[in-house]
Amino acid sequence: MGEKKTIIGPHLRTPLSTRSMMADVAIALTPALLGAIYFFGIRSLWMTLLSVAVCVASEYLWQKLLKKQITADDFSAVVTGMLIAFNMPVTVPYWIIIVADLFAILVVKQMFGGIGNNFVNPALMGRLLVMILWPGTLMQYVMPQTVGAGMDAVSTATVLSTMKSGTVGAYTYWQMFIGEMPGAIGETSKLLLLVGFGYMCYKGVVNVSSALTYIATVTVLTFVFSAEGMFAGDILTNLLGGGLIMGGCYMLTDYVFVSRRGKILYALVAGIITAAIRTFSLYPEGICFGILTANCLAGWMAMAYNRHVYGVSKKKA
Amino acid sequence: MGKANHMTFPGGVHPADGSDKALSADRLIQPYMPKQVAISMEQTIGGTCSLLVKPGDRVKAGQKIGEAKAFMAANIHASVDGRVLEVKNLNQNGRTVQVCVIQADDGPAEEAEALSYTTSLADISGWDRDGIIQKIQEGGLAGMGGAGFPAYKKYLTDKKIDTLLINGVECEPYLTCDYRSMLEYSYAIVNGVRLLWKAAGAERACICIEDNKPKAIERLREIVKEVKEPLEVVVLPTRYPQGGERQLIQAVMGREVPQGGLPADVGAIVSNIGSAKAAADMVLGDLPLIRRVVTVTGSVKNPGNFLVPIGTSVRELLELSGGVTAVQNRVILGGPMTGPCIASDWTPESGGELPFVSKTTSGVLVLPESRIVEQPCMRCEGCVRVCPAGLKPYQIDCAFMEEDYDLCEKLYASECIACGCCSYTCPAKRELSFRVRSARDMVKQRQRERAVKQ
Repeated sequence: MGEKKTIIGPHLRTPLSTRSMMADVAIALTPALLGAIYFFGIRSLWMTLLSVAVCVASEYLWQKLLKKQITADDFSAVVTGMLIAFNMPVTVPYWIIIVADLFAILVVKQMFGGIGNNFVNPALMGRLLVMILWPGTLMQYVMPQTVGAGMDAVSTATVLSTMKSGTVGAYTYWQMFIGEMPGAIGETSKLLLLVGFGYMCYKGVVNVSSALTYIATVTVLTFVFSAEGMFAGDILTNLLGGGLIMGGCYMLTDYVFVSRRGKILYALVAGIITAAIRTFSLYPEGICFGILTANCLAGWMAMAYNRHVYGVSKKKA
Repeated sequence: MGKANHMTFPGGVHPADGSDKALSADRLIQPYMPKQVAISMEQTIGGTCSLLVKPGDRVKAGQKIGEAKAFMAANIHASVDGRVLEVKNLNQNGRTVQVCVIQADDGPAEEAEALSYTTSLADISGWDRDGIIQKIQEGGLAGMGGAGFPAYKKYLTDKKIDTLLINGVECEPYLTCDYRSMLEYSYAIVNGVRLLWKAAGAERACICIEDNKPKAIERLREIVKEVKEPLEVVVLPTRYPQGGERQLIQAVMGREVPQGGLPADVGAIVSNIGSAKAAADMVLGDLPLIRRVVTVTGSVKNPGNFLVPIGTSVRELLELSGGVTAVQNRVILGGPMTGPCIASDWTPESGGELPFVSKTTSGVLVLPESRIVEQPCMRCEGCVRVCPAGLKPYQIDCAFMEEDYDLCEKLYASECIACGCCSYTCPAKRELSFRVRSARDMVKQRQRERAVKQ
């Protein structure tokens, strides 16, 4: 494994590669990174660079030490690193990012066999670990520096947790859309995330239907079963107030889990669980759990779904 | 199935943008006569013929030199006038095969006068089904699209045939031999289709062409208008592997050939454009299958289409087209998707042994060397999306690597058609097609072994 070999037929191959697809995802995340720097300061950039460096380096060392095929250069670790950093508030200590990175890459990804064999999304799992271990530290969300200077040390509640506690949010929908609200550094600017999503659609490297199904499911369910009663949920706050766009467009659509026929069911499961958590539990977001649960079902769906095989009668199949 | 999938088949890929075929699409077919030909007594795998001549014998072009004995065999004829120089035993497909080397006579070959069936519609009322089938059996007509199955056996079926499909799809990138034939041998092809239609006893005959060949469609439509028989030209959207027999039946007729069955089971016979031309030559021109059109293209100086005798060496074809232009190269026999690689980094000086044109050689393609590293599968299921047989190649790949052949069988590895779409589309550059094909052969072998035990 690992050395270059002359191809066996067919002698034409698509120009797409794992590397180019993952690099496209990383490129798609770049506008959101610029947004994070604008809203939360240059520390966002350092956090992201550190996280990417730790992910790639730990993957490389693991593969080198265990004499496995080196795939650390395929940009999947870069994407994981970016997503982990994007899910943290700007106040988070650097060492927490490192813990999340190492857990994601070494335990969740490599110990289960590396790319393609992990049973859940490593970035989400890394985030979940540190969120459970150090919930206080990870809730230190701050106001963007564009809203009132000198306030960046004051922690504040996110829009969704404000809504959860029943008070009226202080941010307009437009502010939520462009990202001028407290939250994790990469997930606040829906506008820039959607710009990146548009790029992925253009490149054809993302599964649009599952992303849309997921976002629609969460939006509809939180509208129908809201804390204020049936059909009284705040659609736009649910859509824009948290990490729904980020989760739906970039994390749910990990190639490992979006199977051909199962993709709508997969997105529905993730959406239902996310909405249930938003409605019933103490957590305001629920995206992490929703996607992770659906991840676990993806393998089963891929095996269970049988295509019609040419020439084989339906009864026999 | 049914009407829903009409004019299409599931899966498939677009492996090229058209610039590939443009290399040789406007090059007229040039006849070429080599000094020497080497004719293998096994033109297709499993189709061994017994040799009828010995060294020193004089042979005339069209004289039968190989008698079909095996099930997969079709008669073989001398392709030039000349003298049998020697009979060699060569290793071919892992078996020893007799190869008859004929030294062609000096002097210009007799210029065959243009026969009327090549320039106008012929009167075929004097031919009946049995007569035609006997002629194409004698003439050694083998499927010229690639498989090389003896054609008369398809037409001998006692099943009810409603549609004869003439495959002018040429979905393999780079190849243009069928396209050029349709333009330059139009009348011979239409006459051949009429004869094959009669031989099949079919209700109608469809000449199937992909929409990237508008000139061929126009040309054949013009001629078909004058024809009394129920012939039509069917235009299909361009997609690989539409020229696969089973996919073509599915696209045009909306039917699937059942597992383990033959096209005749669903009332269809499929023959290639080249076969139709050859059938006209045999029946109306009394000329057995001794020549075919071969596209030489890719990284060569002057790509072209050549009409050459069976047994012409690939080396001469490469010289004819001005020589190889890529130093690091792969020489491929046939199209890039299914053709085998016959040499790497070939140069005339390195002098690597190259094979000879057989009845199924549609092209010689030179591509620049390409090396890849197989990456781990990331389960994107791109291969599942493109598989025209409806398989899950990445799962079969995984099962095959684990040597779990029972699982391979459950995943219907046996139904692989070896089109190569899965390998083409895999972003992790896995050799899916190679291993799924190996899994198919393994599963089929196990099924045969089980059948013997019972």
